[in-house]
Amino acid sequence: MSNNVTQTSQTSSQARQEATLLPPVDVVEDPTGITMYADLPGVPKDKLNLRVEGDQFSIEGDVVLPLAKDMEASHAEVTLSRYHRTFTLSKELDPEKVSAELSQGVLRVRIPKAAHAQPRKINVQVQ
Amino acid sequence: MNFDDIRHGLETLKDSFADGWDRLRRSAAGALTRFRPGETTQLPARDEIDDVLFLSGQRWAMLGGDVFEDDNRLVVRIEAPGMEKDDFDVQVAGDHLVIRGEKRFERESTEGRWRLLQCAYGSFERNVALPVPVKNEEARATYKNGVLKIELPKVQPGRPSSRTVRVD
Repeated sequence: MSNNVTQTSQTSSQARQEATLLPPVDVVEDPTGITMYADLPGVPKDKLNLRVEGDQFSIEGDVVLPLAKDMEASHAEVTLSRYHRTFTLSKELDPEKVSAELSQGVLRVRIPKAAHAQPRKINVQVQ
Repeated sequence: MNFDDIRHGLETLKDSFADGWDRLRRSAAGALTRFRPGETTQLPARDEIDDVLFLSGQRWAMLGGDVFEDDNRLVVRIEAPGMEKDDFDVQVAGDHLVIRGEKRFERESTEGRWRLLQCAYGSFERNVALPVPVKNEEARATYKNGVLKIELPKVQPGRPSSRTVRVD
């Protein structure tokens, strides 16, 4: 089984700098590429940051939950406000052609396979 | 199942443990919610899924929630990404707020294999204790960026009360 996306664990220095939430993801692979879905509730579009550096693909998003100023939390479970997860992309994938959309807290990312890794149909003429 | 499948599963398990443990430490236990996939959830067939951890177990996921209060109202927020606003059923039952819903799986094509399946799908129910009585009929709910927000006006407006418990 070939894995086109593997997760890179955060280095300990990174983890010490700032605690972040690891968003859960679904990944589907088809013959022409992969599609990834990540749950990022509370992250608006302008606070979402997607980066490709070499074979590293990272998702970072800040949670924005506006509340009236005088409100105080009587019970709070969502205390961290940043999501961060990094993936290593296989060479089969073409990071230049990443496309993404965000809807109701779900990020959808499509990464097509590079031209050389796409399935090709070769017609052979039989004489 | 070959060796790669198992190794992949273990990696997923490790990630998931670290993830789960970290989140548990900073979350109240109430955030852990059971998701029950049913026929209407439309999950992919088992033979299309490679995620061993997903295949092996029951589905639990964190559904983060907050309760905020000021003089006049309580505000309850629940993180529930990927829903339609009509899929929520919100009720006040005594001193609890009950939030039910079903997160359905939406697939775009029938091709492909699911390498990772970590997001939770299915029906869920979340109970949130309300610290003071509220006016049910004036409750309002909104859904934005995957977060459900419910505003509940207090029956008796007033500062959040702090109580001292005497130890005998």
